[in-house]
Formats: sequence, C-alpha cells, structure tokens
Amino acid sequence: MDNIKKTSLHEVHLSLGAKMAPFAGYDMPLQYTSVKDESKAVRDSAGVFDVSHMGEFFAEGEDAVKFVDYLLTNDFAKAEVGKAVYSPLCREDATIIDDLIAYKLSDKKVLICVNASNIEKDYSWFEKHAPQFDCKLSNQSEDFSLLALQGPKSEEILRALEIFPSEDFTYYSAREVQSPVGPLILARTGYTGEDGFEIFGDHDAIGTVWSQLMEKEVVPCGLAARDVLRLEVGYPLYGHELSDDWTPFDAGLKWTVKMDKESFIGKEFLSTYKPKYRLAKLSLEKGIPREGYEVLNSKGEKIGWVTSGTMSVATGKGIGLALVEKEKFPEDKLFKIKVRANELDANYHTKAFVAGGHK
Amino acid sequence: MANEIPSNLKYTKDHEWALIEGDVVTVGITDFAQSQLGDIVFVELPEVGTQLDSGATFGVIESIKSVSDLYAPIAGEVLAANNDLEGEPEKCNEAPYESWLIKIKCSQETELEGLLSPDDYEKVCE
Repeated sequence: MDNIKKTSLHEVHLSLGAKMAPFAGYDMPLQYTSVKDESKAVRDSAGVFDVSHMGEFFAEGEDAVKFVDYLLTNDFAKAEVGKAVYSPLCREDATIIDDLIAYKLSDKKVLICVNASNIEKDYSWFEKHAPQFDCKLSNQSEDFSLLALQGPKSEEILRALEIFPSEDFTYYSAREVQSPVGPLILARTGYTGEDGFEIFGDHDAIGTVWSQLMEKEVVPCGLAARDVLRLEVGYPLYGHELSDDWTPFDAGLKWTVKMDKESFIGKEFLSTYKPKYRLAKLSLEKGIPREGYEVLNSKGEKIGWVTSGTMSVATGKGIGLALVEKEKFPEDKLFKIKVRANELDANYHTKAFVAGGHK
Repeated sequence: MANEIPSNLKYTKDHEWALIEGDVVTVGITDFAQSQLGDIVFVELPEVGTQLDSGATFGVIESIKSVSDLYAPIAGEVLAANNDLEGEPEKCNEAPYESWLIKIKCSQETELEGLLSPDDYEKVCE
C-alpha cells in the first residue's frame, strides 16, 4: 500500500467516510453511502465522481489532429473544432490498446483522455508515432484533476456555478473555458448514459468545483455506482469487454471503426478480418451474472463468458455483458448463464438495459 | 461504521450470528457483515432437510458488486430457510439480527462451545 497513488481529493473522500479500494494504482472511493442511492442520484438528479486517476495527454501543433486521427479507428479529422470523439486505440493487428476520448480543443490542440490503468502503455504508443508528425506530445496526467458531473440536473448546476459556457454546448462538445475558479476544460461527456459533464482542471480549481458541487447538494458517487451505471447503458470497460487480445469488431465497437478513412493504424488488418467474438447483452430474472461465468446455448454447450455483470439498480435485474464465440452465436437467441451449479435462462437484449437521458 | 453486537447471541469469525435455543441454532449475518457488503440484493439459501457439515458453504449472499459464501457455523440438518429474504434481501441491511437465514438442528452439541462470545467477536471486527 506504500506506493499507492492518491488523487488531489483523497482527504475529502476519507472525511466523507468513503469506502476506499485500490484501482489502477490509485486509492479510489468505491462508495460513500450506498451504490443504490448513488446510482439513483445520477439517473434522477445529479452525482459527481472523482475520476482524477484517468490520464490526460495533449497533442499540439500543425499536425496534431492528423496525428491523433491516424492513431484512432474513429474519424477524428472530420469532427468539428469544439467536439469530442470516442474511439478505440489499436495496434497494426487491430488488438485494442485502450479506448479513449479525444477532444478537439482547436485545430492545433487535442486533449486525449485515457484509462488510468493504461496510461504508460498508451503514452509509449503515442510517443512511438509522434515523430512522423509536426506536433508536440505531452503527458499531463499528474497535473490534472478530473470530475464527472452526471445526471439530468447537471446543466442547471453548472449554470448556477457560472461554468456552463453557452447554449450551443451540446452532447460531446468540448471547450477550454475561463470560469470563476480559473481555467478549465469542459466537455459534455460521461460514462453513465445520462446528460453530464467532465471537468478537467488543475488540482486547486477542481477542489473548489468539488466544494461548490457539494453546496449544491450534488451526491458524491464512487466507482461501484459508476460501474453499475455504465453497464446499464451497455458501455464497455477496458480489461473486461475490451483487451489486448481482440479487436473492436469482436466487442460491439464496429461503429467506432471508420473503414472509409484514408488511413489509420489497424485498417489494413481489419479490412480482411473475420471477428472471433460477438458482444451480447444478457439479463437474468433471478440471479446475477458475474464476470467469468460461463454463457451456454439452449443445449447447455459453452459458447462464451460474462465479461462484466452486476445487479442493475434501475431495473432490479441481474445484467451482464458477454463475449460469445461468433461461430457459435445461437440464431434462436436462447442463452443460459451458469450461476454456480445452476444453468439459468437469460434474456437477450438488442438495446441497452436502460435508455439513459443524455442530450 | 455500524457494528452492533447483541449480547444474547454467539458469533463466528465469518461474521455470522447464531441464536442457540436448545438444539436449534438460528443463523444470520452480523451488522458488521452487512455494513461491509453494502446494498444486499440477492440471497440464495439451501433446501430444508439439507445436511450441513460444520464450515460448509450453505448459501450465497450478493451485494450489487460482490458475491460472498455463507458458512454453516455448526454441523446439522437445515430445519427452515427464510425464503422471505428472496423478495426483500435488503432486510439483511436494515435489520441484520431480525433477518435470519436458516435454522439448523445441531448434531453435535459440543460444537456450540466453539462459537465466539460477543466480546471475542468484537475483537474479530477490529
């Protein structure tokens, strides 16, 4: 525990009585009061997550956009200035290094936000390819704190704090703003399916924003609620649905791969690739899917595994994401999940378990 | 952190309580256990008549994010299971000492002496 890192808000979490747990090398709040109450707050009003453990890279210069576009499978070049793009980051063989959001702050400045557990791996990949482009790359992960304010009341709250920039700040907008607490980078993004904002800033500014959000009775939320919320809307998580061992085509991310782009790392491989897996959204009437549980067809043959599972607070059902071998994907859509000794019938979902209300 | 330890009960190091009435032992999870687990959303209990060895897994209790086994504090036959908890598992959070899980007919009374006193259990929680 000696080398564990702490976010700038660590003391605040302890004083709130949060249950802490190590995550990606950081001592992070798992929950403050209850996962149920915290996830409900995000669906019904507003909650805030300290996600300062995540990584922030900047690419700046003439070729910054071109550089980022070449490394991402999604189309970053086409995005307007002031917009963000979600994308996998792939190797030449299309295996997934990470999934990330790139924010086009100007036509010469890009912020890239990556998963905490992958900061070093990602940065060395970016570094390896940067010399081919006219741009300066920097890893500023230690200099930034990051809050995710999520829920239908988020806009109203940011307006009250005089941080909300303007009417045209729509879903996936991103902008550098001068706020009463100092310069911030604001984006209308998140990981819960609800409307909300991610607020990047230096540690002092973010500390002040956190206190102001508490005064507005925003509910502090931990990583456990965050995982429930993302699973309810079917978002993948690196290390579970996404990994070094398969491609975006195997994990339900075909929509993030733009094969009509002129070139990007992984394109050539993907042009002839036949996926091994297919992502399935499954729920149980009784019982809870958990990571690693076997997924079976109606004959009881193993065809895949649960990659993430939880009890859904919004639906009251056990829900999970699973990777199923593409060749064994049952046409009848009849699945079972093996929960301990029992093979339980699972419901197959074509849509997210919860719609979410993002704008 | 919540940690009520009623003086009329016995305890195990696995954070279960045991109410001894003659040779019938009623088993539940402690206040400390429910507080550690967080929102309890699922309880799986054995069939009446199941023979349990001492220390054997007799069921499962799940919170939103975790799965925990339940262990038989003593050997014996399951006389009753509180199946009401299936519909309202949150009772284990709200009233852990009223939310009994199973009743066991003790097969070896000497085992009862191995259960922890409230004072000893308090030390386990430290």
